[in-house]
Amino acid sequence: MAKEIAMLHDVARCSACRACMVACKQWHDLPADMSTPFEGQYQSHKELTPTTWNLIQMNERVDSDGKFHWDFFKRQCMHCSDPACAKGCPEEAIEKLDNGAVVINQDKCVSCGYCAHNCPFDVPKVNAETNKSTKCDLCFDRIAEGMEPACSKTCTADAIRFGTKEEMLKRAEQRVAILKQEGHQDANVYNPQGVGGIHMLYVLPEKPSVYDLPENPQTPNSIDLWKDVVRPLGKIAGAGAIVGVLGMAAFKKLANREKGEK
Amino acid sequence: MIVNKKYIKRHKMGFVYFHWINAVSFFMLLLTALPLYADSFRFLYDTFGAATLQYAHRVFAVIFILNPIIGLVTAHDGIRRLVKEVVSFGRDDIVFNQKFPAELIGKEPEGIPPQSFYNGGEKMNILLQAVLWALLVISGAVLWFGDGVVSPVIRTWMIPLHSICAGFGFAAAIGHIYLAVGVNPDSCHGMLDGTVKASYAVKHHGKWVDELVAQSSLTEDEVKKAVEADEPVEDASIQARPV
Repeated sequence: MAKEIAMLHDVARCSACRACMVACKQWHDLPADMSTPFEGQYQSHKELTPTTWNLIQMNERVDSDGKFHWDFFKRQCMHCSDPACAKGCPEEAIEKLDNGAVVINQDKCVSCGYCAHNCPFDVPKVNAETNKSTKCDLCFDRIAEGMEPACSKTCTADAIRFGTKEEMLKRAEQRVAILKQEGHQDANVYNPQGVGGIHMLYVLPEKPSVYDLPENPQTPNSIDLWKDVVRPLGKIAGAGAIVGVLGMAAFKKLANREKGEK
Repeated sequence: MIVNKKYIKRHKMGFVYFHWINAVSFFMLLLTALPLYADSFRFLYDTFGAATLQYAHRVFAVIFILNPIIGLVTAHDGIRRLVKEVVSFGRDDIVFNQKFPAELIGKEPEGIPPQSFYNGGEKMNILLQAVLWALLVISGAVLWFGDGVVSPVIRTWMIPLHSICAGFGFAAAIGHIYLAVGVNPDSCHGMLDGTVKASYAVKHHGKWVDELVAQSSLTEDEVKKAVEADEPVEDASIQARPV
């Protein structure tokens, strides 16, 4: 088994230069989203799009002490250990690789959008033009060749780091300790266990909710219900109705024949 | 009103269209989504293309949703009747539902009370289909338009809900088709030109015929004549009970 890898975004170090966004587009050959309107802010896109898999979200915030903050958060696929997208995919088009990267197989994808509905982080976006679902693939192809993802490679502020999950967790803990010393009492490592832990770790100076992150995201039970109960039950109900009807028709025919003989 | 000597007017044509548009759009919705439900129907995606079927699913969804809404105008009387019948589910309907199943396999159970415009089973089917319609529309709309509007925590539950409604809807539809085509072929006539044989009406919807007579839409004499007009048929199973 390949070593479990992880990427780490140190929110406190990010300078929002957005070189990672450019590098991502470059490596994946993704076109610019020309329809992004200018809304008087530095924020580029509002949300991830089918052609923007990595987005620096910029949020202006005033804390309880009246102090102004400008938060930069790298939004992308979390690469969950228990990925809802892969679990709920009816075509088995999404695979979790041994190293932890969760990757959509474009050839198998039929664009049903179930991954988008199931994802607790609302990450996958369906491309209406190509009719395929899209999201960050953690540059799994680069990793396979011994390289690091395009975004972490290009990060000038050392805010994005890449390595084994063990290393990254250790580094994250160290950074959180430093942040706490600097006065960020709520500093934490974002690695929610409800989705089995993630391979896109964050060092957050504040609570997750400050960055619009769910505090306790879960891989939804609805997927198990759908896969293990609803799909089989629906098939049994449908097939049962057909078989039942054919059986009754046969019975009826027999009964009529008996009547005729009498 | 007696039509062609032996038929009674049962449904207005607006209601007949309402029924068939609902039926066709339901089955098209089912077919266009079946590959997601069962891998054995994957060939549908391979044949027509996933994008085409997903687009078609949305087109039929719009028809499926608008049909009953437009029907409030074009099939007004029929829909009012549906509602009225369902809310009047009573003792006779329960007795009917207990005794009727024997008829499914060709027996002729005794002591079935006369039924109104719809019998107990039909009333249950109407209610079931109405509830499933609402659930399918709500869950489908959330899945279609919910991205960025509805929380993923809720959206994820719409998938099993949508699926199970489709499954039950299909099973109920199969039963409905068997009852119409296999058990009571005369009832189908009502969904073709809106009339049914008087003999069928008297046998299966006695209370409704009484209601028509009471309203003076028909006279007992007319009913009797219409039933007699149907007497010489060869199939003994659809002969009328004496009035």
